[in-house]
Amino acid sequence: MNGRSGLLTFFIFLFLAVMIVLQILAMVQSDRLYERLNMLLDRLTSGGVARVSQVQQSPGKKDLPMEQYPGDEGDWLVWRQGAEPATLNPIHASGGTYSRYIVSGNIFETLLDYDPDEFKLRPWLAESYEVSDDGLEISFRIRNDVYFSDGHPITADDVIFTYETIVNPEIDSAHMANYYQDVDRAVKLGEREVKFFMKRVYFKSLEFLGGMEILPRHIYKFDKPEQFNKRISEPVGSGPYVFEKWDTGRKVVLNRNENYWGHKPKLRKIVYQFITNFTAAVMALRSGDVDFMRPLPDQYAELSNDKDFTEHCDCLSYWHPAVGYFWIGWNQDRPFFKDRRVRRAMTHLIDRELICATLLKVPEARIPTGNFYIFGPQYDSSIEPWPYDPDKAKELLDEAGWVDTDNDGIRDKNGVPFRFHYMIGNLPLHTQIVKLLKDKAARVGIEVIPDPYEWSVFIQRLQDRQFDAVSLAWHGGLAQDPYQIWHSSQIGNRGSNYVGFNNPQADAIIEEARRTMDEEKRNKLYRRFHRILHEEQPYTFIYTRPEQRFLDKRFENVIIHKLGLNQHEWYVPIQQQRYH
Amino acid sequence: MTTYIIRRLFLMIPTLLGITVMVFAVSRIAPGDPVSLSMGPGGQMDAERAADVREARMRLYGLDRPVHVQYLTWLNRVVRLDFGDSIKHHRPVIELIKGRLLITLTLNIIAFVIIYTVSLPVGVLAAVRHRRFFDRASSVVVFVLWSLPVMLVGQVMIGYFTGPHGWFPPSGLSANYADDLPFFPWLWDRLWHLVLPVLCLTYTGFAYLTKQVRAGMLDNLQADYVRTARAKGLSNRTVIFRHAFRNSIIPVITIMATLLPAMLAGSVIIERIFSVPGMGLLAFEAVTTRDYNVVMAVATVGGVLNLFGLLLGDIAYAIADPRISFESVE
Repeated sequence: MNGRSGLLTFFIFLFLAVMIVLQILAMVQSDRLYERLNMLLDRLTSGGVARVSQVQQSPGKKDLPMEQYPGDEGDWLVWRQGAEPATLNPIHASGGTYSRYIVSGNIFETLLDYDPDEFKLRPWLAESYEVSDDGLEISFRIRNDVYFSDGHPITADDVIFTYETIVNPEIDSAHMANYYQDVDRAVKLGEREVKFFMKRVYFKSLEFLGGMEILPRHIYKFDKPEQFNKRISEPVGSGPYVFEKWDTGRKVVLNRNENYWGHKPKLRKIVYQFITNFTAAVMALRSGDVDFMRPLPDQYAELSNDKDFTEHCDCLSYWHPAVGYFWIGWNQDRPFFKDRRVRRAMTHLIDRELICATLLKVPEARIPTGNFYIFGPQYDSSIEPWPYDPDKAKELLDEAGWVDTDNDGIRDKNGVPFRFHYMIGNLPLHTQIVKLLKDKAARVGIEVIPDPYEWSVFIQRLQDRQFDAVSLAWHGGLAQDPYQIWHSSQIGNRGSNYVGFNNPQADAIIEEARRTMDEEKRNKLYRRFHRILHEEQPYTFIYTRPEQRFLDKRFENVIIHKLGLNQHEWYVPIQQQRYH
Repeated sequence: MTTYIIRRLFLMIPTLLGITVMVFAVSRIAPGDPVSLSMGPGGQMDAERAADVREARMRLYGLDRPVHVQYLTWLNRVVRLDFGDSIKHHRPVIELIKGRLLITLTLNIIAFVIIYTVSLPVGVLAAVRHRRFFDRASSVVVFVLWSLPVMLVGQVMIGYFTGPHGWFPPSGLSANYADDLPFFPWLWDRLWHLVLPVLCLTYTGFAYLTKQVRAGMLDNLQADYVRTARAKGLSNRTVIFRHAFRNSIIPVITIMATLLPAMLAGSVIIERIFSVPGMGLLAFEAVTTRDYNVVMAVATVGGVLNLFGLLLGDIAYAIADPRISFESVE
């Protein structure tokens, strides 16, 4: 009866639905068009294209700090990142490594820079610098041919603006401001000359001041601090790349700065793609959607032997000073770990070679004996790591008075059984190391209770020092100051001396080294400090390992410097270019 | 009907308040806080300074005040539709959610449509072929699918279906060059990227719905009125579709209201596996970084969606079944 009319209604509805879908699609399309149009307009008005003539560069006329890069122009670099940065403002405290990778050196530049092949500072945006004999005055003269990407020259005002913004207590830059505590004031000597006066001598002051990423004052200036704190995107600097867009959750795209004051890199675009999943990232690399990534050690071990893979990708493994080290810390507030013999016994119980070879799967990994970069001048390479030796551990424990008096299989002393909680983050490697230690410790009469925590809880407990033993990795650096991690004034109160290392001799060395401007003398002090750490074993240093990267084979001129890789040197031969 | 809907809408307010109180309490009871986390494991800052900075940040985010005061301030802002700023991203939470909600909804609605288009016919056919081969086989297949854990299947799919000679892209929503594509290739690229996530989102859903339809159909096929219809000499098709199917579809509609919220929750895992920038990934990150404002906003938005889903389910119920009426009996 109503069968036909029902069918008719159905078709009318279907038709309407199709029309609505088409309308939505058309709207999306026009949105996309407008977005692209707006972007082009933005670029025009921000001077990217219009101001080229103002800068007037004549290539090759000056002695630039970088060399002319060889190779063909064009192509993109697609860089996988494990997570999205919180901000692209270089002085925000929440920046972290993910935002560093994107902005440092690409968009923002510094007055001084480390020479990639020698561990030495060299002038970059500065033409020259001078440190007074007493180390209390540091002055910089800025080059007269350096410009921000919008054509404005870089002046002393920009440098002073950057410094004052960092130390402004209302600006979200607490981590940075910490580095400039010793600076008293900044004075403008001329249009291109700045002088910083120090409160006290500190050997890292030159590195910190020279390492400020200079912000253009005319763009970042603010009336209220929140204005600056909320400025997380659209960074503008002087570097070889300029910001194009940030698709939240997906990627950040940088374009080459066509007005760059120095030699331009060859790659036209760098795309930072956010892919959380490691398996997916490797697959994206294999299918050519991604060019560059840091793999997991397992993936590296497996794929570097895969012929099919190495035909398309280079597996790079290299050392540089920031590699850092992985450690287990023994909380010295606990009765067991007060005694250094017990801490040494713990070190003797951990088979670090086994960890490197079978758990970590990085055969090139090394066992460090101290906190400095193992190939750096502060590291005393004559110190041998304590060997894996359970018998020696037993001996040391007996000596320290930890013996099994009540025959329950667990050592004790003054009625306290040797049973401790080992706090770990929720990572497979940590869990495996705990199991290994638990097993070895049980054989000598020590009970280890693994305490895995989610990262945010882990950090809180670490800062409150609520742990018996903990493992973590520290980042390294070229000229490191051990003060924050090892000085006794940094115990408690949320300082980073979490294990409570308190050694007057070490304190004295740390303080003296901070005031020692002569590098050779300072390194000598540090080697002495290194030996104390080795004797005291506040940490058991587990491993330090080289960086590992996968890179698509089409990139040429990939040089491994003493300071790692520099993507500005890379290029792709024109016939192999993938993006146009 | 209208009075009923209005009454239901008013009843949603206390429910929603209850949800926010619960989520607020749970998020604050959980150990860890965003300030410690944003300060990282340390190693850079002097002790005194670190303590000062921590206090200053706690004050900045209002975390130093008593919990109930924090909740009331939050509520006061939310009433004016201001969810505050994300602690991690320094952006207004609304801005973060806007783009992502659309992605998650697209993903889920596509999955939803697929689940229904597959499950309804399979369920009906299984009931018609009761205890015959199709019934048994479909039952085994949907239960096997149902029992496969999504985390594993997602990884396996990435491992086998992507790569240099693979069929699908391993992650994300569009190709690198997507911005330069004209519209239809762009749309194609987007759909191609959606295949694996949608597949992961759908396969577990078949079992539940198929079994519901099958059970409903079996009940109705044995009912007296079906026998009567058959006896009248109606064709088999008419009996199944006009009579039995229409009656057994009612429970399926109620399920719709509960299935959508469940899928929104399930997409957290899938978005993380395939790096899809949706609500799920946002919620996951917010929970692990204790980004309270985002957690609260996601929970509230999710709560509102759920409540509306339930309401729609009830209304659809009344439309599909004339025996159900929300008017008060006079």
